Amino acid sequence: MKLSDIDFEVLRDFIYSVCGMYFHIGKKYFLESRIKLRMAEAGTATPGEYVTLLKNNTRGSEELKKLLNDITTNETCFFRNPAQLAALEKQLLPEIIDYKGKIGFRKLRIWSAGSSSGEEAFTLAMLLLEKRATLLKDWTIEIVGTDISEAVLTQAREGIYSPYSVRNTPEMFRKKYFTSEAVGRFSLSPEVKKMVTFSRLNLYEDTKMVFMKSFDFIFCANVLIYFDIPSKSKVVQHFYNNLQPYGYFFVGQAESLHGVSEKFKTLHFPGGFAYKK
Amino acid sequence: MIEWRDTVDMQNMLEKAQLLINGVTDLPTIPVITTRVSALLDNPEVELEEAADLILTDQVMAARVIKIVNSPLFKPMHEITSLKRALIYLGFRRIREIALTCSIIKAFEGGTGAFDIKTFWQHSFGVGIVSKIIAEKVRYPELEKAYICGIVHDIGEVFLSNYLREDFERIIEEIKGTSQCFMDAEIRSLGTSHCEIGFCMAQKWNFPREYCDVIAHHHAPQNATLDPMLVAIVNLADLFCSVRQLDYGGREWVSFNLAEEPAWGILQGFSPSLSGLDVERFCFDLDERVPEIKDLVDSIFEGSAK
Repeated sequence: MKLSDIDFEVLRDFIYSVCGMYFHIGKKYFLESRIKLRMAEAGTATPGEYVTLLKNNTRGSEELKKLLNDITTNETCFFRNPAQLAALEKQLLPEIIDYKGKIGFRKLRIWSAGSSSGEEAFTLAMLLLEKRATLLKDWTIEIVGTDISEAVLTQAREGIYSPYSVRNTPEMFRKKYFTSEAVGRFSLSPEVKKMVTFSRLNLYEDTKMVFMKSFDFIFCANVLIYFDIPSKSKVVQHFYNNLQPYGYFFVGQAESLHGVSEKFKTLHFPGGFAYKK
Repeated sequence: MIEWRDTVDMQNMLEKAQLLINGVTDLPTIPVITTRVSALLDNPEVELEEAADLILTDQVMAARVIKIVNSPLFKPMHEITSLKRALIYLGFRRIREIALTCSIIKAFEGGTGAFDIKTFWQHSFGVGIVSKIIAEKVRYPELEKAYICGIVHDIGEVFLSNYLREDFERIIEEIKGTSQCFMDAEIRSLGTSHCEIGFCMAQKWNFPREYCDVIAHHHAPQNATLDPMLVAIVNLADLFCSVRQLDYGGREWVSFNLAEEPAWGILQGFSPSLSGLDVERFCFDLDERVPEIKDLVDSIFEGSAK
């Protein structure tokens, strides 16, 4: 099965309009391979038929979830979004440290929402550990990872990863913060593990969301794509309220908040953007 | 960004720029052929044969037109090998764009500058193409003008790179790894910047007044006098290119908050529907065009080698 350029664009536009996730043309083959599997399972013969199924009111949303699952699974890894990390390191972190330092509030709070097995939260922990002797000297750092699934949280707390998860990790970090006692298993150092607290949270639960307060940075990558627009707006409104007045909100590299929230201001930086409260 | 620029400063900087340009005896000229092609294509009665004959008098330009028409930017179904077919395929307006841009590139060929000239032109063509896209979105009537202005907005930098190489290398070194922009570092070091230098060059080359305005104010569209919409378009295109893989500077870090950019305010004033633009999607689509823009510049450079 080959996806024609037109089918690809129709599918890309559809996924973008429903989920806010953009497929770069460079990912066409990847999308093609995943769709091939989904088409077989869904019993559709052509890409055109499959797109019609996705757009179907009753069966479409379920199928779309399955497709998104196939597309985003195994994507999680350490240092997954270098553009965001560079923005954090070069501009946003120093900016917030400067601001909070001036008012004498030396505490930094970061939330990885939909943390899965912890790769993003621990990446941030490692980056901040590197600044412990300089920028973050005498600062209290709190990193919170939340997910709806207990199973992935258990994995996160164990802190043992496959080579696939650490594939993008710079050599320096791999050597310094991981040990590899068995082949194909990378254990995270206790120093990094103790920096993150994991807990179960359903982003739909308003009563719990209101207690997640005063974050400087919130990361929520590839989670909102599963929500419909009204739910997405509600969750994003919570994130907005959960941020400090000067805080930043990040979504995945290919995700967009367009049409979801008018309140955030978009900060553009090389290769990405952040949403500023 | 330095905020202290007022009228007196601007005047001083322009004088300084003029002095620098006057000090160069071998400043390139825009070839007569370009001016003639441009004038010919302005005539609504022009015959295809006439335009083709004129372009064929400059073999390098003819070769470039054929290279460009076959580039991914224009995507012909089959390779076009004759100039006449290229003219039919592209249409006169685009031929003029190509003639002008080829000659501007040619004007600076051969010099050894402080920065990589190909990367510079990739940025410039990027700004040209993105200016055209923004111009379409805000319904600016003269797309071709937006495109050309985007391409020439930074010509002052080429002057600095080629003719004040040592000073410019020092400036590049100074801003490397910081978030400072060229303009501020240039003003500190030379008392003027690529904006004023480019403006003086454009005047010397008898560029249309709107082009001169863009070159002078592309970092401060709020100071534009003739066509603020055009200057705002090029300014925004420049900002987007700088964060979407089409930057050429040695700067390590660039960022901007769109809502706070004067250009955004200016364009919204002219085109209120712009506030509903999906800026994220705009950036994603732009990323997709980067290889195409780089290929176009490659094809122009290959044309020059022949």
